Amino acid sequence: MHAVDMRRRRFAAAAAATIAAIAGATGARRSLAAPKDYTVVIDGFAFKPAELSVARGDTVVWRNDDPVPHTATAKGVFDSGSIAAGASWKYVAKKPGRYPYVCTFHPIMKGTLVVR
Amino acid sequence: MKPLQLAAIAVLAATSLAVQAQGAGPTDPQIAAIVVTANQVDIDAGKLAEARSHNKDVREFGKMMVTDHTGVNKAAVALVTKLHVKPEDNPTAESLKKGGEENIAHLKTLKGHAFDTAYIDHEVTYHEAVIDAIDKTLIPSAQNAELKALLVKVRPAFVAHLDRAKELQAKLGKM
Repeated sequence: MHAVDMRRRRFAAAAAATIAAIAGATGARRSLAAPKDYTVVIDGFAFKPAELSVARGDTVVWRNDDPVPHTATAKGVFDSGSIAAGASWKYVAKKPGRYPYVCTFHPIMKGTLVVR
Repeated sequence: MKPLQLAAIAVLAATSLAVQAQGAGPTDPQIAAIVVTANQVDIDAGKLAEARSHNKDVREFGKMMVTDHTGVNKAAVALVTKLHVKPEDNPTAESLKKGGEENIAHLKTLKGHAFDTAYIDHEVTYHEAVIDAIDKTLIPSAQNAELKALLVKVRPAFVAHLDRAKELQAKLGKM
């Protein structure tokens, strides 16, 4: 085989390996998909939707439509602190997992965030 | 059950019975007065608990009552203002107010654990009675759709409070 062919083969192999490495590093999400925004509405002392599934890098906004303050708290993972009536809190999903969360003021309020 | 608690339940139960007897419920202006009064009664008791209790859980519960019932009242007043519904005083609202004043007067004679248990016991009974009145009288009687929707929306606040009050009642019972 000619030397040029050998170089092209090596180059192609290296390029393929690099692309595979990048694809592997971004995990399950399609490496070229743009991050999405999601909203969880807090209404009537409930998180709506109660369960939300997002991809790493997606943004979740909790919007408090109730007349009282609430929180969105998953101990050790995320904690909005007090979200005032009418206010919002933004969180960028990082680590994959299934995260049950509560309002610490009214723990009867439960939700789950799934990060793929 | 203590006399004051019986009185509180009686007031709200009587409202429901009166409604059924007459076949007509409170009007929207009367509902507005009942809601505002019911919230204010709990705000006043909550402020007393914050100031008087030596128990952190009870003080925090009192603080939550002040925060939440102030918020609900703010929403209720904003809505009835927008709807040009003027709260109209009525026997039910007056009884709630009187019952609230009697509760405060009684609580002021107590301290320590006796205060905490009396406060929380009353909160349990009170929230149960208010939820019952919301379900049996206020929501069914409300004429304006937005007023009805607000009552439906704030009902879970009372449920959440009742849940925590019962939890504290059990905890205090073990002390």
